[in-house]
Order: sequence, then C-alpha cells, then structure tokens
Amino acid sequence: MPHLSVNPSSKPNCSTVWLISVLLGLLAVHTNANDVLTVPQQVSLSTNMDSQQLSISWVAGAATTFDLMILRTELNESVFYETVSVMVSQLSGRHEWNWTSVEPLQCTSLSIKVRSREGQSTSEWSNTEILQGSDLPSEEEWQMFPLDRVVPVGANTTFCCIVKEGEQFGTINYGNTVMNTTRLSRRSYATTVVNQGLSRTSGTNVICYNSFKELKIGAVLFVGYPPLLSDFVCETHDLTSAVCLWNERNTNLNTKTRGTRHTLNNRTFTLSWSRNPKKECRVDHWEGNWTLVAVNPLGQYSLTDSAELSHRVTPVAPENLTSVAHAMNATVLWQWKYDGYSSLALVCQVELTSQGYKTNHTFSGVDLRAVVLPDLYPYEDYSVQVRCGAQQNFWKWGSWSETMSFKSSSIVPEAPDMWVWMNKDYTGQIFWKPLTRRQSRGLMTGYEVTLWSPGESLQHTDILPPDTFAVLVNLTLMATASSDNMVMATVTAKNTEGVSLPASVLIHLRLTDPDPRAVSQAVYTDSGFSLFWQSEVNTTCAYVVEWHNASCKWNCPVDWIKVAPGNTNVSIESANFQPGVRYNFSLYSSSSEAPELLQRWQGYMQELVPSSPVLSLLTTQEDSDILLTWGHIPLVSRRGFLLGYNIYISSGSQLTLLANLSDPGSRSYTVKGLSEGSYKFTVKAYTSAGEDTGATASIMLEPFTDWLILEILASLGVTALFLVIVTFLCYKKRKWVKKAFYPDIPEPKLPGDWSRSQAPLDVKPPHHSLVHMVERPEWDSSKEALVVIPEEDEDEDGQGIGDELVDTDEQTSLRYYNQVVDERPIRPRYPDSSDSSASSLDSARTDVTYTGIHTSGSSFVFQLDPQGSSEGHQPQADPSFCAGGGGGYRPQMQSRVPSDDMGPASPNPFPEPQAASGYKPQSSWQMDSPVDDGEGRSRASSLGSPTSIASTLFLLPDGEDHTEEKRQPSSSAATWLTNLLSSTKP
Amino acid sequence: MADLEQREQDEQTEQSAALDSTLPGPTQTGRAVSIARLLHHECGLLLQLYKEKESFLSSYSPDGGRMVSPSPVPQEEASGEQRVERLHAALRQCLGLLHNVLLKEEEEWGEQEEDYETLKKNVRHRLEHLLLSTRGLLEGPDTTLEVTPDHQGTEEPDGAGGLFGLKVWTYRVLLELHHWADHAAETLHVFHTERGGAADL
Repeated sequence: MPHLSVNPSSKPNCSTVWLISVLLGLLAVHTNANDVLTVPQQVSLSTNMDSQQLSISWVAGAATTFDLMILRTELNESVFYETVSVMVSQLSGRHEWNWTSVEPLQCTSLSIKVRSREGQSTSEWSNTEILQGSDLPSEEEWQMFPLDRVVPVGANTTFCCIVKEGEQFGTINYGNTVMNTTRLSRRSYATTVVNQGLSRTSGTNVICYNSFKELKIGAVLFVGYPPLLSDFVCETHDLTSAVCLWNERNTNLNTKTRGTRHTLNNRTFTLSWSRNPKKECRVDHWEGNWTLVAVNPLGQYSLTDSAELSHRVTPVAPENLTSVAHAMNATVLWQWKYDGYSSLALVCQVELTSQGYKTNHTFSGVDLRAVVLPDLYPYEDYSVQVRCGAQQNFWKWGSWSETMSFKSSSIVPEAPDMWVWMNKDYTGQIFWKPLTRRQSRGLMTGYEVTLWSPGESLQHTDILPPDTFAVLVNLTLMATASSDNMVMATVTAKNTEGVSLPASVLIHLRLTDPDPRAVSQAVYTDSGFSLFWQSEVNTTCAYVVEWHNASCKWNCPVDWIKVAPGNTNVSIESANFQPGVRYNFSLYSSSSEAPELLQRWQGYMQELVPSSPVLSLLTTQEDSDILLTWGHIPLVSRRGFLLGYNIYISSGSQLTLLANLSDPGSRSYTVKGLSEGSYKFTVKAYTSAGEDTGATASIMLEPFTDWLILEILASLGVTALFLVIVTFLCYKKRKWVKKAFYPDIPEPKLPGDWSRSQAPLDVKPPHHSLVHMVERPEWDSSKEALVVIPEEDEDEDGQGIGDELVDTDEQTSLRYYNQVVDERPIRPRYPDSSDSSASSLDSARTDVTYTGIHTSGSSFVFQLDPQGSSEGHQPQADPSFCAGGGGGYRPQMQSRVPSDDMGPASPNPFPEPQAASGYKPQSSWQMDSPVDDGEGRSRASSLGSPTSIASTLFLLPDGEDHTEEKRQPSSSAATWLTNLLSSTKP
Repeated sequence: MADLEQREQDEQTEQSAALDSTLPGPTQTGRAVSIARLLHHECGLLLQLYKEKESFLSSYSPDGGRMVSPSPVPQEEASGEQRVERLHAALRQCLGLLHNVLLKEEEEWGEQEEDYETLKKNVRHRLEHLLLSTRGLLEGPDTTLEVTPDHQGTEEPDGAGGLFGLKVWTYRVLLELHHWADHAAETLHVFHTERGGAADL
C-alpha cells in the first residue's frame, strides 16, 4: 500500500495544489492496481493419496496473496476457503500450495479455484479445477477409503464409503461400533475415528453396510507405535564374529508388510518374528562400530555402538563336562568350542549343588579346561555347571554349561553320637543318634554295641541292624562280677567301607540318688530352652545336656546334645517339644570318667492351664468354720508350674473369689464367718497360663449347738450367782431391807361391838386401814360392803410408826395396785365413787376389786397421821369424807350395818376368816397424801374423774400372819421378797 | 497335534501301500471316505476358528458362485470313476486355493496364532492325502492323475480390496474347502458302496 504523507508545515497556498496532486496520484495508483492483479492461470492439481495431500499450482505473475477455495463438487459445499501467501517458485515460475484433506481424496470430487488478492482487491477467480473422486457414476461399485492405513496410537482417521449405484447406504462400523457418518456426496459417506487405541494383530476392520445391513465393503486399519530400540551392544563369542543385541518395543505392527525393517551398518537383515523384546543379529566380522536402524510405517529409530573385540568377549558355554570324583574332592573337566580360547585368559565359575544347596567356586587361568573341587562330602551326590568370562577386560559371564552330575566316593562312617540312660537299678538304655547321610559316608550296614568291664575284662557285644538306634541293657550280672562298679558302653557304626571309630560312655554301677541337685526352672524362648551354668575352674571337659519328659520315670526316651568345652550356656530346641509338657534337663560333665551330674532344670516349652483340677476336694465343718482340703494335681495334668490356688464360693452360677493362695504347696483353707446354710466351694489351681476348670465341693453348715448350750448354762450360772449374792446381801442386810421395803404395818383391829351396832356406821377413817376383800360369789352388789379396820396394831406396836415415818413421802401420793388380786381388764369408772365402787362390785366374778385407796371422793383414803400414829391414837374417821361419800364405797366392816343406800346387809358378810379379819395392804401399799381437808376435797374431786383403775394394793390376809410377822421379822421380809418376785409377773 | 501328525504319517504309509495294489477295493475306498470325512471335519474347525478371528464374518454370506469349478460332467450320466475324477480335479483346485491362502497370509501377516497356523497346515496335508487317495482309486495303466495344486481357473483375491478383501477371499476359500470336503465324503462314500463297501462306514 502506498503511504500518504502530509506535511503540516506546508504553506496554505501550495497545500491545495499539493492535495489535489496527491488525490490524483492515488486515483492513478488505484486504476493502475486493477490493471496489475492478474487472474491465476494454468491451475493444476497433483495428489498424494496416502497422505491425502493436494498440491495446487498456478501462474499468477508477481502476485503473492491469493484466495483459495475448495468445494465438494457435487454438493457445492465449501471445504476450504482462505487467503494465503504464496511466493512464486524461482525454478518453475509457478505458485504452489499444499493442502491436506481430512477425508481421503478419493471420497468425492473437489472443485478448486484461485484468485489473486492485494488488499481488498481481488482478481477474478481462476478456472475451476476438479479433482475427481471415486464416487463418479463410472465407478459404480462399493468402495471404501482409505485401505490398509497404518496410524500411530491416538491418531484420528476419517473413512468414507462410496455406495454402489442403485443401492442405499446403511452404516459404517469401526470394529463392532456403529459410527456417526457425514454425507459427502450423493454416494459418499464419511466417518471419523478419534484417539484410536491399539488395533488387533490382524488390524481393525472398518465395514460399510447397506440399508439391508448386508456387509458390502470394508477396510483394515492398523494402529501401532513407531520403533523404539534400547541396550544395543555387540559382543563376540568366537573371538572373530560379532553378535549385536538390543531390546525392541512391540510396535503392534507385526505383519510382513507393515512390520519393522532393520539395517545394521546399512545392511538389511530379517528378524524372525518373536514376542521376546530381546533381538540379536550376527555379523561375521568384528567391525568395531555399528549402527542399527529400525523403520516401520510410523517412523524409524537408530542406535550405535563401538568397542574393541577384547573388551566384548563373552565366552560360550563349556562343553562336554566330565568328572573324576574322590571321597573328599573331584576334578571337573570340560572343552571349548573354539580353538581361540586356548590363548584366552578366563575366569570360570563352578556352581556345585548338593542336597539343594548351591556353592560357587571360582577359578581362573589361561586355557582353563579343568578345576579341582575340594571339601566334598563322601558318598554325596553333586551336580555341577560351569560358566566363564574373560579374565582381562571382563565383559560379562558366558552362558552356563549343561549340568553334569557325579557322586563322591564312600569311606568309613563317623563315630555315632551315643548316650546312656540308667534306671534306678542296673537296667537302662543305650542310645545313639542316626547317622546322617553325610555322617554315614557310605551305605550303612549296622551298629555294634559293646559292654565291657575294664577291671574284669568282661565283654558283651551286640550287632544291630542299621535302622536300630537304641538298645536295652541289664548290667546286673556285670555289676555283681565287677569290682570297680564301672562298665564301658561302646557303639561303633559300620558301612560298606568299614567300621567307624568307637563312641564310649563310662557307666557307674553305684545306685545313687539320681537327683541330688536342686532343680532350676528353664525358660523357653524363640531359640529354645536357654540353659546357663557356672564353669568350673580349670575344667576343660565337655558337657552333655540330656532331657526327657519329666513324667517319665522308667526307660525314658531321652534326647541329648553335646556341648563343647568352655561353653557355659546352650539353647535346646527340638521338634519334639510339646506345649504343656514338663521336661527335665540334666547337665553332665563329659570326660573320660563317668558322666557327672552337674545341674538340673525343669521347664515347659509353653505353660498351659492344668488339664484337671485338684484331687479329693473335701469340706469339713470345724465349729462354725469350714475347712477345705484337697490333694495335689498329677504332674502330667499340671501342664505348667503351679503358682497357687484360687478359692471361690458359688452363689448361683457366679463364683466369688474368697482367697488367693499363692503357695502352690497349700492343701487346705479355712472359710470363716459363714452363717448356717448350704455352701459350694470351688478350688482352682493356676499356672502362668491361667486357672484350671476347678474342683467343687458342697457343705451344709449346721448350727454350733455346743456353744449355745454353754452360753445358756453360763447365763443361768451368772443369774444363779447373782441371786445367791442378792439373797446373801439381803440376808445380811435384812434389817435394812425390812425397814426400807417392808416396814411393820400395824395390824388393824376390830372393835368388839361392831356386831351390835345397828346405827348407821359412823365412819372415822383411820389413818391406816386394812381392807380385806372377800370373794363371795353369791353376794350381790347390794350387799357388798367394805370394812374399815382400825389400825389398832399400830398402837400396840410402835415399830410400825417408825416404819411409816420412812415412807412419809410416799403417803402423800395415791397409788393403785391391782396386779395381785385382779387381773381382769380394767373397766371404765364413773366419777361417782359409789357408782365406781358399785360398778366394781357389780362384777359377777370379782367380789373385790379392792380399791384400797380410791381417788374418788367417795373412796376411803387412809391418811397417815404420823403424829397420831406415833402417839397410838385411834385413827379418826373424817366426817367430811363420809358426807361426801354416802352410798358409795364402804368398808367391808359396815356390811353388818347396812345403810339405807346399800340395802339390807348380808347377815353373814364375812363368812370366811380372811374376810373377818379384813384386809391388810402390803408394805407397798400407798396412802393418800396427808393433806388438809380442803386439799383433800379438792383432790378427791379432781380424782373423781375417769381414771384407769388398776388395783394397786396387795390385800393380804391378816391375823396369824401378822402376829407371826411381829415375831419373825425376817420371815416377813422373805415373804415380802416372795411376793415381790411374784408381783413381777405381768 | 502330535497325535494328528502321527496319524497322518500312518495314513501316508497306508496310502502308499494302497497305491501298490492294482484295483481299488473296499478298503481303499473306505479309507478315502474316512480321509474325506476327516478333512471335512477339520475344514469345519478351520472355518470356525477363522470366524472367531474375524468376527464380522459371522454375519457375512458371500454372494457369487463357486470358486472351484471342475469340468462339468453330467452327474446323472457319469460313472463312479468319472465322479471321483471330477472330485479329484476340484480337490486340486481347492489345494491351489489353499496354497494361495497360505502364501498370501504369510506375506501379509507373517506367523499368526499357533492353533490357526497348525490347523491350516493340517488341512493342507489332509487335502494332499485325499488327493493321493482319490488318485489311487482312479489310477490305472492308462490314466495318470496329478496331485499338485491347480491354480488355473481359481479366483485370486481382489487386490483393490486390500487386506479386507484378502480376509473376505480367505473366508470364501475356507468355505469352498468345507464344501468340497463334504462333497468328497459323499462322492467317495457312494463310490465305496458301489465298489462293495459297507454302506454304514
């Protein structure tokens, strides 16, 4: 484009002219440009069908920018329309531009035209050139494109199917997948497969079906990789030629026409197809430098290698191996395939295999063809193979030779490992361990066991077959004949080559306790039972550790191990060890003398819970306790070291731990503090592994009667003793007791004219009256009466006064006693004393309910007048009391003079002596308090309220007793005591 | 497969012995029937294996006529020997087709699956044996029959069809082999009964 340049500094008069000139110039240029844009001519097309590339060339002078348009001819669809810059080719003078089609170029016809462009100006389009597709009517058959295409993994490929004239398109399948299609022309349909994965070996089929789903045409697509090589090296085996080796990736293109082609130093060679990635190529001469090139339809790969021959020697495998075998060594010989090896320094590896174990021996030398293998076992099968490498500039080991087998020669066997087990008498067993194949050193024929007494030259020999490894011996005869109590046991082994050296053990014939030493516990670890012992100073002897099942006592199968001198520990491991089995281990010194027991151990490989509970669990009642006793657990059943016992008591299905006895020697336990009842006890022994199932015993705990009896007797004794003491004290203090508890009571006296008096009774209540209740069932209530007995005795016996003085305080209160006489239920009383009295007398059953001193106003209150009493005055009836109590309670003595209120008096009111003599309260009777009249009235009135009545006075017959009482105060006290005791009864 | 090869060797030995005899008897014709039946069985196996390899063929029914077309002889008028001779000619063309298949497959694919390759070789050997057998049935002082593959008149794979065309062509050849093996078994069985052999062979 021309540049328009404007200079603002130009003069105005010139600018107009200048502007016009410019515009004219531009117009001229534009007009000229239309003239120079040439229409492309001679458009020609060339194609590369495989690459689907269309090359378009044309002639367009100096133009460099063109518009290209590519249309699908039939449907006039634009496939490509762009402006491109294309320079003219100096050689051809033509413009040429390449376009790659997505679809194969055969799919349909394409129309191509070009025009020149310069800016917005374009020339006319060139003539349209048509690239004819295969869908022309002249090619009327089914077709498909592309055929047999090879693409890399992940590529996209477009296929087209051209339908046969007159038929209808159906589908395109990629493998078994129905694809989406695009119509390109009347007969052409296309589909695109994207991101393709590896195809099958025979390729993936792309098939076109018609509308009837009939297979009509197809193509095969191969999807794979370009070649990829690695580890390319060349080496020599024969010191002349070269063998080049490399690894190659599987390209998945393994057909002949699409497979990888190789060249080595530009010489083509063919590899037989193989899935093995390792490839090799042989070259007759060592060239020193190699270039390997691999090519397939998807690409190529090349590698190079260079080396001197001497640095790449890989010997071939030795051939024709032979051997010369001896008992302890063998010579292995071989041959080389190439003569050139005779001057080659080689290092060779000999792999010796015996009983599954491999050992390698390395030898070196020039022209190495034979080696001697040392340290072989006699009578042993060996197999051997050999490989070699260059000793100088070692490159790599050559291939192993074929395996060659041989057998070493046999010799006399080794001396057997023997041991002796003696019972607690002169019998025992001699053991020896079976010789291994290597120890046998040949074909075993048997064993020879010899017993001989060194001192007496007694000898006994047994020949035993080769499968015998123990023999029972009885040394009784030798013991009786031997003077030194020593017998030498010797065992020799025999094979086809001869007899071994003897193995001997000296046997002591002294019958001693075999277990003199303390027994330690041996602990089992992962490496077995670890046993340690103290090394005796200056002792160079070896040791033998023997073990056996501890429960075995006679002819036990023992095992043993020999320990070299100087060792002070050993780990014993055996496949025969069983869990829960106790093993005895014994350490013996092993010397030319008889073995001496040094130390003993016991141990379990694994402790288990005891397999059976304690034996004989018994329960015994001891007093109020329960004694549990049990026996031991047999050794076989312990299965571990017993650590103690757990004592349980059963409550229902639950066990409650009573005690833990940590002493495994415990055999009893006493359970205390249990009440009567049934109990069940379980005893479980335990080891470090736990408790056993337990032994259970039951017991019914009975009451302990002896103690009860003793307690009762003791109580009775104490009571009796107390009574004796009390009695004794009372006896000793009887005077005091009498004064305190039983003062003399004046005996009431009856005036002689009581019977004659018909006048109303003038009652003068005495201070003390003794009222006798007379039980008269026939006496009705109207006849009942109380007799007031003056206390004349008091006057006669001043002692009573004195006694009364003691109870002065008591006389001031009212007491009721009915315990002795009337045990009936107490009836309610009316306030009126007469009613009360009458009601009490109404009782059909009780003739007297003595209310000796009633609290009601109608009651007689025996007031103690201390002064009067002391002066011997007759007690005077208190008129006020009489007035207040008319018709109420009356002394019995008045019954003979019936009052108006009471009706006719009984002619014999006191038929019984007791009645005649009246009543007399005991010492405990209570007097009304000596208060003045007013007080007495007020109290009487207050006491007239309903009151629970309990007769409170003892009404004792008077008369002889009283006189006797006077004479015998002590007996009176005793009587009182008796009454007192009897009164305590409820 | 080793059993098959051993059996083939035995059959070859027997066949050679049979060739020494001047007139074919029931034993020779019966053996030919057995070989034809065995060939038919193996062709069926080969066809099945190929259809498994190229699964699209299971739904493909090729159109067009027979690939093998021996000289036409009216069946009704032909004698037993003529029918066998015609069969022999057809089998030679089948062998030619099979050789072509083996060749073209080896060119395109190289070594293929082992069982497929083995079965192809077995069919080829069986077909060659059958040709020897039929020749033995027909050969006389005045007749000399070839047992080599006949490539004349047999259809070649369409090169324009590419590898897909080769696959379809191979399938058609295998179908043709299967057909002619069946035809051989029938023809030879008829011939066998005509020669006095047991019908329930």
